Amino acid sequence: MSSVLHRKTARTPSTGDGGGPVTGRSAPPDSVARRRARAGWLFASPALLVVAAVTVFPVLFSLVLSFSEVRLEYGGLRLGSPTLAHYEALLTHSEWYRALAFTLGFTVVSVFVELVLGTLVALVLERLGAARGWILALLLLPWALINVIAAQLWSYLFNGTYGAVGWLCEQVFGTRPDILGEPLPAMAAMVVVDVWKTTPFVAIVVLAGLMLIPGDVYEAAEIDGASAWTTFWKVTLPQLRPIIAIAVLFRILQAFGIFDLPFVLTQGGPGTATQSVAILGYRILFQNLDFGGGAAVAVTTAAIVLGCCLLFLRVFRAQADEGGRA
Amino acid sequence: MSLHRRALLTGALGAAAAGLLSGCGGKDLDDLLAQAATVPRKPARLTWWVSEIPSRRGAVVADLIIRAFERRHPRIRVSKINALSTSDGNRSAIATQLAGGSPQPDVYLGDTTWPAQFGHSALALPVEKLLPDGFWDSYPQALRSGSTYRGSVYAVPFFTDSTYLFYRKDLLAKHGLRVPRSWEELLHTSRTVQRAGDTEAGFLWQAAVTESLTANVTEFLADAGAAVLDERGGPALGGAEAERAFSLMAEFTSRGVTPRTVATYQESDSQDAFVNGRGLFLRNWSYAWVNASTPQVSRVAGKIGAVPRPGFEGTGRSGVSCAGGWSNFVNPSSQELGAAMEFARFCASGEVQRLLAREAGVVPAMTSVLDGPEARAAGDPTVLRAADLTLVSRPVQTPYYPQVSKALYTPANAVVRGSLSPADGVRAAREGLRTALEGKAL
Repeated sequence: MSSVLHRKTARTPSTGDGGGPVTGRSAPPDSVARRRARAGWLFASPALLVVAAVTVFPVLFSLVLSFSEVRLEYGGLRLGSPTLAHYEALLTHSEWYRALAFTLGFTVVSVFVELVLGTLVALVLERLGAARGWILALLLLPWALINVIAAQLWSYLFNGTYGAVGWLCEQVFGTRPDILGEPLPAMAAMVVVDVWKTTPFVAIVVLAGLMLIPGDVYEAAEIDGASAWTTFWKVTLPQLRPIIAIAVLFRILQAFGIFDLPFVLTQGGPGTATQSVAILGYRILFQNLDFGGGAAVAVTTAAIVLGCCLLFLRVFRAQADEGGRA
Repeated sequence: MSLHRRALLTGALGAAAAGLLSGCGGKDLDDLLAQAATVPRKPARLTWWVSEIPSRRGAVVADLIIRAFERRHPRIRVSKINALSTSDGNRSAIATQLAGGSPQPDVYLGDTTWPAQFGHSALALPVEKLLPDGFWDSYPQALRSGSTYRGSVYAVPFFTDSTYLFYRKDLLAKHGLRVPRSWEELLHTSRTVQRAGDTEAGFLWQAAVTESLTANVTEFLADAGAAVLDERGGPALGGAEAERAFSLMAEFTSRGVTPRTVATYQESDSQDAFVNGRGLFLRNWSYAWVNASTPQVSRVAGKIGAVPRPGFEGTGRSGVSCAGGWSNFVNPSSQELGAAMEFARFCASGEVQRLLAREAGVVPAMTSVLDGPEARAAGDPTVLRAADLTLVSRPVQTPYYPQVSKALYTPANAVVRGSLSPADGVRAAREGLRTALEGKAL
């Protein structure tokens, strides 16, 4: 081992004064750095292998499946020749566009509402004193609930026969709506549940951002005679931008993959009104047993989410730069 | 460091390739069948993928069957893998495992709608040649045809499920009404009892956008004399009979006999409403009898009856039921094919079928058991009247059954909600069927 190291160091180009030969006794600093880095990789390799097994392999496998003819034979699945057929089938089918439109609409509406409500809640929480901890804990309850359980609870509330929401509507409006049985109410119900569940997350993230804003900027705004509204728009919000960007990114990633809410509440119905791309992918892969088609849905969804996030970051950065110049 | 990063990437790709290749091991079917034809004499271990079988007296039915098998075959040990009880959840879990070439489970309990899809996808062993001559004489013809795909049988009978009309005896007696013999009479009876304020809903059934609705649609079509597929497997839906069936589904909701929320109901939702006393009639699978008759979970225990479903007036057809239930499939990748096949045969044998009649809240698949002493002792009308039913098969003889099912339940759901006319619903379903059968539906 030492001779190998010696040979390698001897070949290292000299950066010294005369370019004289480098001896093994006085190895240059970059060689030490290499050794350290090598040891680092060695120690990290078990963890990296686990990550590769649970993350890299499934992603690569999905990619390969989506571009291959997949045949199921005795003994397991067999990959045939490369093909674009899965993508062609997907991109020429109106159902995929409907699922995409629902998912995009759901993402935009729910993330926007959560952002507005979450910011409002955070502003209130920031001004609270001793009670903040308790209220924060209470607010976190929906966030802490497992998605499927939360969805099941709401399905009882929305149930058209004995649900509390229907009963309440009957008392107020004199008619019991079929919330999950009609397209628009079912979509709205899904947004309500998501907002109920996820607003606390946004609130906590924004609250963390609010706590980081130094008090002297508010003092300066007060001295300048800025109203509370102006202070919020000109001081608080610009300072919150980075943290809001993170919250929105997290929420887009999560909302775009919505599966459990429609799966429990509506099974994608009525008709296909609340069928998200994740539900469509599940049906293609696990019900139709079309492994290539299911993988194509997964890959296209990942590409679209990635594109949305990059676009959002670019717009956000451009706005931040403009703000900085101003 | 770039060298190392490259090496890592190469390693990951290598692992991915190895993983891909490990799942790819084509096997010769004749070899598999030869292995499955012989029961091993050496010790063997089997795994059985089985969801909970409803029990009449609290015993774990699967354990009773395993113990009985191990008594007969002391060298073969069987372990149970608890599976989900829903058909879709079960399929998702088992299909990916089998597609990866897993040798376990050796035998799995699957829905009677799976054989064509699983046979087509090589996830189940064709068992026809491994069953004794005259085997199918003891089981319903609909079960055999539903288990057959392109001339091969892929499932061994275990228990069946049939649908019945459950009704409130007490409410009918109070109003001096008889159990309806036709759908028209059921509509009238329901309205009478509803108007009197004795029940919220007249008729509860399942119209959510799931396979549950496909079973309902298939039955209503059969009631009216219409079919989903023709003998060659092409789309046959259409005509006045099909429209009559779709019109009835729309009429239930438009006349208020069925609550509009039925469009979100699966079996458990409609059963919950019925056992809580919210409905006069319920269409459900036979297992609902045990649940609705148990006082701990049912407010209507002791007040209910079950009869075969009615039909349309003037057709002379009634008592139609989808052939449902669960059968045993043999994993082609099993290392113990002979023992696995023997276990599947054992589950279909008279010994286990009588055990099911005695202990389980399901309908045994073997027809001779249905009027045997065990069934009579249980006194379950869904078992005792099973022989009176006209079983119809769902359009399951295609590997695209999930897509076919979706082509039926999506427009049917819209018809029930009133957003599509019955005629348009039939047209949309026929168009969807054509696309699905061509394998072009998502």
